[in-house]
Amino acid sequence: MFLSRIVLRDLDSIDSPVSMASSKKLVTRDEWERKLRDVKIRKEDMNRLVMNFLVTEGFVDAADKFRIESGTQPDIDLATITDRMEVKRAVQSGNVQEAIEKINDLNPTILDTNPQLYFHLQQQKLIELIRAGKINEALEFAQEELAPRGEENQAFLEEIEKTVTLLVFEDIKNCPYGELLDVSQRLKTASEVNAAILTSQSHEKDPKLPSLLKMLIWTQNQLDEKAAYPRINNFSTATLEDPAI
Amino acid sequence: MVANQESSAAAEEPVAPAAGTAAMDPMRLASRWRSPAEWEAAAAEMDAEPAPSELNTTNSSGLFAVVSTDRMSVRYLGVNQHGHDVGVVQANRPAPTHRPVYYFEMAVKNAGHKGQTSIGFTTENFKMRRQPGWESNSCGYHGDDGYLYRGPGKNEPFGPKFTSGDTIGAGINYFLQEFFFTKNGSLVGSVQKEIKGPLYPTIAVHSQDEEVTVNFGNEPFCFDIEGYIFEEKMKQQSVSDKLFLQPDISHWIVRSYLLHYGYQDTLNSFDMASETDPPSNHQNGYGEPPEMYGLSHRKSLRQLIMSGDIDSTFKRLGEWYPQVIKAGQLEDAVKYARSNLAKFLTHKAFDGLLKESVALLAYEKPAESSIGYLLEPPQREFVADAVNAAVLTTNPNLKDPESCLYSCLEKLLRQLTIQVFLIKVFKLHLHLSSELRDETLCRSLRKGVHLGVDRVYRDSMRHVQQTQLILKFRRILFSLYKVNTKLRVTG
Repeated sequence: MFLSRIVLRDLDSIDSPVSMASSKKLVTRDEWERKLRDVKIRKEDMNRLVMNFLVTEGFVDAADKFRIESGTQPDIDLATITDRMEVKRAVQSGNVQEAIEKINDLNPTILDTNPQLYFHLQQQKLIELIRAGKINEALEFAQEELAPRGEENQAFLEEIEKTVTLLVFEDIKNCPYGELLDVSQRLKTASEVNAAILTSQSHEKDPKLPSLLKMLIWTQNQLDEKAAYPRINNFSTATLEDPAI
Repeated sequence: MVANQESSAAAEEPVAPAAGTAAMDPMRLASRWRSPAEWEAAAAEMDAEPAPSELNTTNSSGLFAVVSTDRMSVRYLGVNQHGHDVGVVQANRPAPTHRPVYYFEMAVKNAGHKGQTSIGFTTENFKMRRQPGWESNSCGYHGDDGYLYRGPGKNEPFGPKFTSGDTIGAGINYFLQEFFFTKNGSLVGSVQKEIKGPLYPTIAVHSQDEEVTVNFGNEPFCFDIEGYIFEEKMKQQSVSDKLFLQPDISHWIVRSYLLHYGYQDTLNSFDMASETDPPSNHQNGYGEPPEMYGLSHRKSLRQLIMSGDIDSTFKRLGEWYPQVIKAGQLEDAVKYARSNLAKFLTHKAFDGLLKESVALLAYEKPAESSIGYLLEPPQREFVADAVNAAVLTTNPNLKDPESCLYSCLEKLLRQLTIQVFLIKVFKLHLHLSSELRDETLCRSLRKGVHLGVDRVYRDSMRHVQQTQLILKFRRILFSLYKVNTKLRVTG
């Protein structure tokens, strides 16, 4: 798809609808399918897109198999995926200290250069202590490790206050900030860790495929204002809908 | 669980090919295999769009202005009498359009008696004795009043006036379809571009001793145009990032791609990881992709072809899918190849790649093929994809013959390509994500070198990160630069 702009040249036969500015231009299904046939998408580019997804999302075994089966080279050292996934899993299962140590083994500058990430990890650690009912330990940790950071940063302070609220309530499930104890909070922190490690490895933190799909939605929305044409509404089947006139 | 599927698929007695199967032509996959030389040529053609490089000396109004011998400066001649005494000069070429932004600058060397210099864009047939912006189909930023002019009666206060020592820039933002202007490195403002057709960078002088020099990019610009483009890209990117995407749809698309091409080992690992990873309870509600059919046969055939063992490939194909060889689609491809082979051989643009692949299919007894062992990996992949597509057409439950050729991913990418193109046609705001115009990747392609993908990727990623930093440094450098310039002018 990197070559789309080259391929576009070949499609210049679509009538320029400048004169039809007032009314929507209708592109029939036949016409559209003819154009679609002219598009050249390289297999190599598709393979790379898939490899990029497997690597970024951490499917290390699948990425390795795909390298063998399709001959596509991964855009990152596969060994680093294993490390990254271990850190991610540690956060997901609540072992924050283990995750912090593993991150530092991987690259000590990651936490140094991401104060926000480091803070969120410590906050997660506090949450896990509270969840485990280690109230004294939690209080000590909050005072010694977290409170000084709150002095540096107003946003951090607010986060600390929210988290400490969990200690006040007997029934933490009904605490106003009970959502901090949700699995989703772990996943949020884990995905932040994942992104930071990828960035430290000079790799994009998000796979390319979703942003291409978003672009497909975006261009459809834009085109809807000007033309009636066969849309793809269902991405999982990629079937063309008949143009609505 | 995936591996056990095909035994039942193979056990099914091959049914007469579905009515639609004849429409499937594996040769259509050939379009993917442009040779590197062809891609390079296509890329070079896009890239070769000529840009303005100097002033046009032949159409300028020689009565009132004289262009310097290096064709980069204009000086007003004599004394102006009235409004038609303008010395207007266009660039030798129109602004190129195959880029996100076009930009040029002029330095006012001497504001002359009245300071009536101006900068803007005009169409080819613009009257050469009028200021840009006075006539329709032109737009200009004027030094004497700081107004923006966009045709008869259309002028409004726009920015500061400009005079000797100032550097003024004019640009076209193709993302937003806007003209924008700068003064001494700062953005002055922008205005909707309503003029169509090729637009020429244009400057004008209009009173005694006025003199300006243009910069079409040979010298560094006063304005940080790279930073401007980067920020525009970021803005566009963030718009589409906010769009809602069905959860896990990417996961589903990747999975159906692996199924489509018979990458079974990858698929098994992918499925296994998806099951054990709690956040990825995927593909709920999408159902099973249709390409389960003959999965491990297709995998084996692909492996055989990729290892170059064409002999066994045809043997296996004969065992498993005799209809493909006997009455099926590959024979059509073979016939097609036979009748067109001579043409391919003489068709230079076709390069060696395809004709050899086609020749391979043309041998009824592949063991006797002298070309078989010559297949290089990409050529093998073409044959593998063609065979894969042919096998998929034998699926008795097949509904859409197109789906044999194209995976879900490819259909979506095709759709995207057309849509992006149409948007361009409709002159809408064109959103360009880094995916579509990954300059680094294009450049490596242009060289015809398929460098290690990882290196290219890493370079371009590092570039994105660094650009943020560079942007900050640049701003500092530019403010320093401006201070220096002022010191130089005043001192």
